[in-house]
Amino acid sequence: MRRLHAALAVLLAGSMLSLPGSALAQERTVKITGFGAKSGVVRVFGINSEAAMKAAADQINKTGGVTLGDGTKAKFTVEFLDDRCNAEEGISVVRRIASTDAFVAVGPTCSNVAESLFGILQKKVGDASDSGLQFPIIADVAAKGGLAKISEWAFRNVPSEFEMYKSLIAWIRKEHPNLKTMYGGVEKDFAHSNATYGVMKGQAEGAGLKVLGTSEWLLNDTTFSTQVRDMKRANADIVAISAHPFTTCGVLKEMARQGVKPKLLIGLTSSSSVETLQGCAKQAEGIIIPTSFAPVTPEAKLAAEQVAKFGGSADLHSAAAYEIMFILKDVIESQKIMAKPDTVKADRNKMRAGLAALKETKGLLGKVGRTADREAIKPYLYVHAKDGSWQVLYKPTL
Amino acid sequence: MDFYLGLIQIIGVHTLLGLSAYCVLLTGQVSLAQAGFFAVGAYVAGMLTVLAQWPLIPALAVAALVSGAVACAVGFPALRVKGLMLVVATVAFGEAVRLFFFNFTYQIQAGTLHLGPHGAEGFRQIRYFPENGWSTLDVVLFIWTVVALVMAGLWWLDHSRVGAVLRAVGEDELAAQSVGINITAVKVSAMTVGGFIAGIGGGIFAHYTTHIEHAQFGVVLATFAIAYPILGGLSNVFGTLLAAVFIQGFLIEGLRFMGDWRNLLFGGLIVLAMNVRPRGLLDAGTTRALRRLFAPGKERSGA
Amino acid sequence: MDLLDLIDAVQSVADGVLFGATYALLGIGFTLIFGVMHKINLSYAAASVGAAYASLLVMSVVQAPAVLVFVAAAVAGGVIGGLVYLVGFKFIPLANPLATLMSTVGLLLLIDEIIVHTTAGVPLNYPALFSDVIIEVGPFGLRGDLMFVFALGCACMTLLLLLLYRTRLGLATRAVSQQPTASLLCGISTTRVNVLTFVITGVVGGIAGAMTGAAIGMLSPLLSLPLTVKGLIVTVIGGLGSIPGAIIAGLIVGGLENAFQFFRGVSERDLYIMLLLFAFLVFRPGGIFAKSSGRD
Repeated sequence: MRRLHAALAVLLAGSMLSLPGSALAQERTVKITGFGAKSGVVRVFGINSEAAMKAAADQINKTGGVTLGDGTKAKFTVEFLDDRCNAEEGISVVRRIASTDAFVAVGPTCSNVAESLFGILQKKVGDASDSGLQFPIIADVAAKGGLAKISEWAFRNVPSEFEMYKSLIAWIRKEHPNLKTMYGGVEKDFAHSNATYGVMKGQAEGAGLKVLGTSEWLLNDTTFSTQVRDMKRANADIVAISAHPFTTCGVLKEMARQGVKPKLLIGLTSSSSVETLQGCAKQAEGIIIPTSFAPVTPEAKLAAEQVAKFGGSADLHSAAAYEIMFILKDVIESQKIMAKPDTVKADRNKMRAGLAALKETKGLLGKVGRTADREAIKPYLYVHAKDGSWQVLYKPTL
Repeated sequence: MDFYLGLIQIIGVHTLLGLSAYCVLLTGQVSLAQAGFFAVGAYVAGMLTVLAQWPLIPALAVAALVSGAVACAVGFPALRVKGLMLVVATVAFGEAVRLFFFNFTYQIQAGTLHLGPHGAEGFRQIRYFPENGWSTLDVVLFIWTVVALVMAGLWWLDHSRVGAVLRAVGEDELAAQSVGINITAVKVSAMTVGGFIAGIGGGIFAHYTTHIEHAQFGVVLATFAIAYPILGGLSNVFGTLLAAVFIQGFLIEGLRFMGDWRNLLFGGLIVLAMNVRPRGLLDAGTTRALRRLFAPGKERSGA
Repeated sequence: MDLLDLIDAVQSVADGVLFGATYALLGIGFTLIFGVMHKINLSYAAASVGAAYASLLVMSVVQAPAVLVFVAAAVAGGVIGGLVYLVGFKFIPLANPLATLMSTVGLLLLIDEIIVHTTAGVPLNYPALFSDVIIEVGPFGLRGDLMFVFALGCACMTLLLLLLYRTRLGLATRAVSQQPTASLLCGISTTRVNVLTFVITGVVGGIAGAMTGAAIGMLSPLLSLPLTVKGLIVTVIGGLGSIPGAIIAGLIVGGLENAFQFFRGVSERDLYIMLLLFAFLVFRPGGIFAKSSGRD
């Protein structure tokens, strides 16, 4: 019996302990909480985002920190919570963050979490009949198209794949006018890759390329022989693969086996990461991917070094998290956010209004435009895999 | 505060999921089809409130009936087999349901929005709760009223002749058959009740997460469904509730202060719990001890 | 359907059958454990993937030829198998099948998370043997690496059958699986047989994990759930406790998977595999080689 009491006590104590305390520190600090997947197959995204946020905070703190509404200087601290890429847990994490003095949260990794999360937020600001949560969230990774329009409290700093592939295909048409046909490959059961393939195909057809067909496979498939054989028979000039690193590599390896050598290979934005190179550097040689990050500017180089110092790697996703910290600093300063326990509600409103009012932000590759439906228009470039690393192929002038 | 209320919502819905597996487990059958019934409930209820603009309660009722009917229909062929064969058969059914929703698109145009399930992209904007001004507390009260009703119903069932019949089939099929119990009927009824409860749970799930997609209803969720009653113990309905609190409240949210260790501990502590308490956290012995504590007189007269 | 389509269809099925050797090995593992202990070990496929990862770890420390990857995976599989028995089965009463079911679920999650923590979930390159060889047979081409994987699988199955039917250990194992009480009375240590079964199935699993890695050329924790489901399906179609059944079922499932992919496309492929399973459960619950009409 006593054992049971003890167990219950531990249980309760455990759940109490874990709610972050809001003790006031001597030096003013502003805690920014990020969240995303740090377990399961997408763990690397969480690790990179956390490292990027910490690196950016360190950078800001080194140059004097952030100026709060009452004129005092404060330092950023970063906390990062794991949502296991699970919608219910993502909601829990955000409710937990919203129970503290936090006035914004940065995340999540997975589009399916973002879908649910943005759904529980209030849809229209000031709509008293809508009891949704009134808490601004800005996403760094979740890439599925058009998510931020779900709620006026939702913001994203992710690249627009529509613009990127539109430009890439136009560039290919210009540079390689002799390439006339395209064949697609898509990871069918993953919302992001599936949606992006729609963009690739639509753009290709719009630009006058003939799409000969599409091979489909699932996220955790192990054999691709049938799909690649279809691809081989079509013998298209261009092959476009919209899949994450695991199956991208699986398909590329099968293509090498069957001797499918298209004149040009296009990949999914998310695959322009170290994962693809660790899995299949040899077979990926030459694949062209549009991305919103590469260490080509002094700022981007510095960011990549900083992120590495904090144990992550800078890619298009974590670079977005890095930029977000600077965006938050600017909004805190322009909106005169107080960051005090008794101004939480006002701070959240100011943060939302501030983010919504942004017309342009500073990005690592240059100016980032903001759209009316709270999305980013980020500068991008094309990288290709060459000698086992990602190298810049072309930077469009926007 | 909002955080704890949100957590209590999750625990409530997962208790319903666990209870749906509890019914079937009482007859000695391990069913991994509960996530499939849960998915049916989620999609039906979501479509009724979003596309047909129904109020929530009738939508949940219909979702529960549909899931129950599906469970009944699948119970007849599936329950011909048992043990590992049933585990695999129900995994196959659950996957088949998931794949159905993976291919299922039914959308209507509402202004500039497209509403309804859209294949692999999922079904978004199931915002009945916020649109009708329900506060987090309202949702908690609603969910727990449902949970309490279901638990009371199962408790009553457990202590009536029906419960005895169910457990008899679970303990020894041959003996049960020889006293004239129609085993198939009993098992299929248990499955139907389980499907009904999973349907309610799924319906509520769709509404508090506001977005559902096929990937959420996979083998992992099915495993969680049986994990609650097994981990909690099959001696009564409170075991399942306790296990839902243990997994959602302690292993997932309570261990957050452990940082990266939390994920490793999740699996590890389940293994440990089964080693230490193979008959569940709240087994028959603990239940007796608790009863002695709260009602000493009654226990003595009963003994 | 013209000739070209027919050739492609045959080729697809052939590739699938060859890959099916990995399913067959996993099916054997599930079926052996079930045969001896009458328990389901849901952590089996995850442990196999874990063993393949462990072999990569070994290979990164010791510079050795790629063949040794399979040996390393087999050894790692055996060790993990023994550990799984110790942690998930040893201390849980035999009469409690639900508890061991749950403990193996816990182990599945634990093994997956250990993999994720050591690799950050990133897919890793896995060495394949003979990956450059393509054997041309008329209009068909057979992948060298898959042929190797297939041959290795066949060798494993033969060795396993010899072990079970030609050694005293095999005799004891079969005795325990058929009549646990009687074999105990004959002086056979049930615990010893159980441990050995887990180690042996672990070795088989380790090889299956390495074969999967080699056939895809990649490893990812994404693999453990689908392999668990495929392994269970193969076990059931082959008939519980039947090794030849598991072998044939593995190859059939591998082949059919590609056939459905070819004819019906990816969205419906798995649905048909599930329907096939249902058909077996309803019409032949004893599996492919069932003699009687017993249903369990």
